[in-house]
Amino acid sequence: MKLALWSYQAPAHVGVSKAAASFGKIHCVVRAPKGDGYSTIMLAMFERLGVFPPLSFCAMSEATLAGAAADLPNMLREIDAREHPEMIVVTRSATAAVLQEPLDGEIAMMRPGEVKAELFMASTHPVRDTELSAFARTTREIVAHFATDTARSERPSVNIIGPSLLGFHDRANVESLRKSFDALGIEINAVVPLGATPDDLRTIGRAWVNVPTAHELAKPTLDYLRERFGTPYVDALPYGEAGTTRFLRELCGLCEIPADRIAAAARGAQLLWYSRTVDAHALSSKRVAVFGLPSAAAGLARVLREELDMEIEFVGTYALDHGDWLRERVADLTNEVLVTDDYRAVARAIDRTRPDIMFGSQMERHSASGFGVPCAVVSPPAHILNFPLGYAPFIGYDGANHIGDLVNQTQVLGLEHHLIETFGPRGQGRFAEAAPEGIHEAGSAEAAAVAVAEAGDLRWDPAAEKLLGRVPFFVRKKARANVEKYARERNIATIDESVMLRAREHVGG
Amino acid sequence: MFEETPAVIERDDFCSLAPIGWLHHKMQDSFFLVVGTGSCQGFLQTALGVMIFAKPRFATAVLDEDDLGGADPLDGLRPIVAAIVAEHAPQAIFLASTCTPEILKMNVAGCAPPLEREFGVRVYPCRLDGFDPAYTQGEDHVLQSMIERSAPTDERNLVILGCLSPLEEAEIRLECAQMGLPEPAFLPGESALDVPALGPNTVLAAVHPYLFGAAAFAQRERGCAMHKSVFPYGPDGARAFYETLAAAFGKTVSYAEREAEAWAALANTIAPLRDKTIAFCSDAMLELPLARTLRAAGARVPLVGTPNVYKKFHAAELARLDGVEVLERPDRFALFARFTALAPDLVVANLNIANPLEGMGFAVKWSTELTFQPIHGFSGASTLFGMFATTLRRHEALAARRVRDGAPGAPINLDYFHLAGSNR
Repeated sequence: MKLALWSYQAPAHVGVSKAAASFGKIHCVVRAPKGDGYSTIMLAMFERLGVFPPLSFCAMSEATLAGAAADLPNMLREIDAREHPEMIVVTRSATAAVLQEPLDGEIAMMRPGEVKAELFMASTHPVRDTELSAFARTTREIVAHFATDTARSERPSVNIIGPSLLGFHDRANVESLRKSFDALGIEINAVVPLGATPDDLRTIGRAWVNVPTAHELAKPTLDYLRERFGTPYVDALPYGEAGTTRFLRELCGLCEIPADRIAAAARGAQLLWYSRTVDAHALSSKRVAVFGLPSAAAGLARVLREELDMEIEFVGTYALDHGDWLRERVADLTNEVLVTDDYRAVARAIDRTRPDIMFGSQMERHSASGFGVPCAVVSPPAHILNFPLGYAPFIGYDGANHIGDLVNQTQVLGLEHHLIETFGPRGQGRFAEAAPEGIHEAGSAEAAAVAVAEAGDLRWDPAAEKLLGRVPFFVRKKARANVEKYARERNIATIDESVMLRAREHVGG
Repeated sequence: MFEETPAVIERDDFCSLAPIGWLHHKMQDSFFLVVGTGSCQGFLQTALGVMIFAKPRFATAVLDEDDLGGADPLDGLRPIVAAIVAEHAPQAIFLASTCTPEILKMNVAGCAPPLEREFGVRVYPCRLDGFDPAYTQGEDHVLQSMIERSAPTDERNLVILGCLSPLEEAEIRLECAQMGLPEPAFLPGESALDVPALGPNTVLAAVHPYLFGAAAFAQRERGCAMHKSVFPYGPDGARAFYETLAAAFGKTVSYAEREAEAWAALANTIAPLRDKTIAFCSDAMLELPLARTLRAAGARVPLVGTPNVYKKFHAAELARLDGVEVLERPDRFALFARFTALAPDLVVANLNIANPLEGMGFAVKWSTELTFQPIHGFSGASTLFGMFATTLRRHEALAARRVRDGAPGAPINLDYFHLAGSNR
């Protein structure tokens, strides 16, 4: 047994289902207790899907423990009839794997043609695989299953490998790349797995080049396609303005497109110019650290170092299998590469180095806030805030602009910082009057005491005051106002517990 | 779309580990140690993730291949419990067995006594699995494990069973004092060691409909008298709850006037609910009492899905649900087919399916909120009805504006993500 408080990666079945359900016209069935089904909530909530996601849980129950069969065939028949997928991918959670049910056997027993969809058992190991490895392997397996020999497209074309549902700003990332590809006259043949249908996969060999958005998600698929069709892939990561330009130069080389066309694609890219403006000069004195998925960490670190001239304290990843890859990629950028899946070790590194800005996952945002270190979220594990309604890519030229904005939003702007140093913040600088006594932060104990005094005609008895203290702090002020309004309207001079409850009954809160 | 009843049922609620969220918050000196897989741990951090801001008082002992191979769980648990005791110094540890130990027939509960002896910390063994129970029933299992440690008594005492907020407890305390009843003890209390004495003269009143197991256990093992009332949701529920409590102590008290007064005070809040049709998906087991009080508030509730019905424990609720079709553990899609035919004004559903149901055109009240808002008693009624009324009002207002402007606000579907060939 191993004590786990918090993990960067989800279990393998989540990786399988994230990949499988991201494809178009493919449904994923997970054999698991219903308790393992929480990943569908993230799909429904984060992606704001107004339809049922193509993901079902074939629930294990007490009856299963007593020996009842999985009844998987029935579920497959129902999904086939209701959703008409072209393929149903079956996997199981670690719990289901312990039971060693013969799911393959159940599938094999089904009559040919009984369901129209192809049935496919994912080969991942429910305990040994991680979310990332399960995702990458399942993506490759499904691609390999459908890929057929096909002629190369007439015009240059690419497959984008890596984006998925629940991916980090993935739809915007694809859109950002598309804009550059349009300018260069490059077609998008398939986006894998996000939305790619079996038809898209059958002709995946049309593409001239494969483009990964993340090495750790795409590598097995890239290798497979190179072996099968000889399709090369771009090695550079499209992070930052210079980075995207390097990436497009490599791509143009492979697509036999003159590199001077890149200027048209770069129209609107501002990061390098922003970096030259006086507002950004102070960035040279800033120390930063980056932790997250390997590709995001490597890509971001290079932008921060080479395009914004910031100092890198450390770069790290929680994807242990990709530690060496990251070390190689950032060797020229930093002296410290942190490869760990223990969030507390990352927190200790933040505490030790105290960077001016941390770039990390939502967990680093939590940890950094404890040390008063501002943090920009650039990697999963994500939060619903990382699924914005608007357009916020991280890669390509638009992504470079967004990274610039993110740096600005996360730290105090250079020029602003300079002015504050000189003149002091409003109200507290050397020209300001002394702050009047008795000003307290809202929500503090002092504020409560002042509020009591200001109630004037009203008295809170200690029991009621204590009960009010148990109301969550963010609604406490409203609750107090409601109770006092109620009491005044009824000429009640002393607020006790019963008055408080009566008030709640009448006005809520 | 979904005409036939499928043979395989998809469940839409959470794992019964979920109540750790409110239970560890209530019992500030507790620690919840879950013995399970990375998936258990993933669920806890997803569902209760915000609490990582503080030092979390819950964790998972993730089973590895040695454990799956039959290693003694006590050997694995010893160093983990030692670390927890050293870091958190809890008064009590809830040691939860989950799906995988159950499959392995691993004796997790059997580890509790030796761990308790070795570390000098009370260890309550409980089972919090994701097989059959409704997610709220995790609380039932935790409370049952606490009742097992209750001292016997012959005293005529009153025990309120179920995790409540201080506001809700305050109302019950005040009403009991008003009626001249003994001061109630609450299970759970603020300490995980607070287990009231129970005996044949104890009146045990469950306040949640999902506590059948703990209540039945107390009745069977300690001879407690079971409180037979509807649950204290809404003014009608609160009235019956208090009147029945008084009767259990040989007093006749009428809350008729109090109930009328409460409804009058709620007139504005419940006005939007009048004659509206509300249907429930099977979820937290709150469905029966909420359907009952929403009907008392003037809504129509023709169809209620619920995970488990306990005929005796829920008898008082069922008696007031005349004409309501109650479907026990219905299939998701079969239920939606019924909704489509019914065209309810509001559907109450778990977060899992709330957005897709909105996408199907229903107005949806997400149900999870109902398990953590203080909605019990007279004082909680405004909050309770307010949640339904607000959702209805908002949905109607937005729909009217969308119609006015000819902007339908179409739901995101999977085509939105099909980007291949978009620039061909």
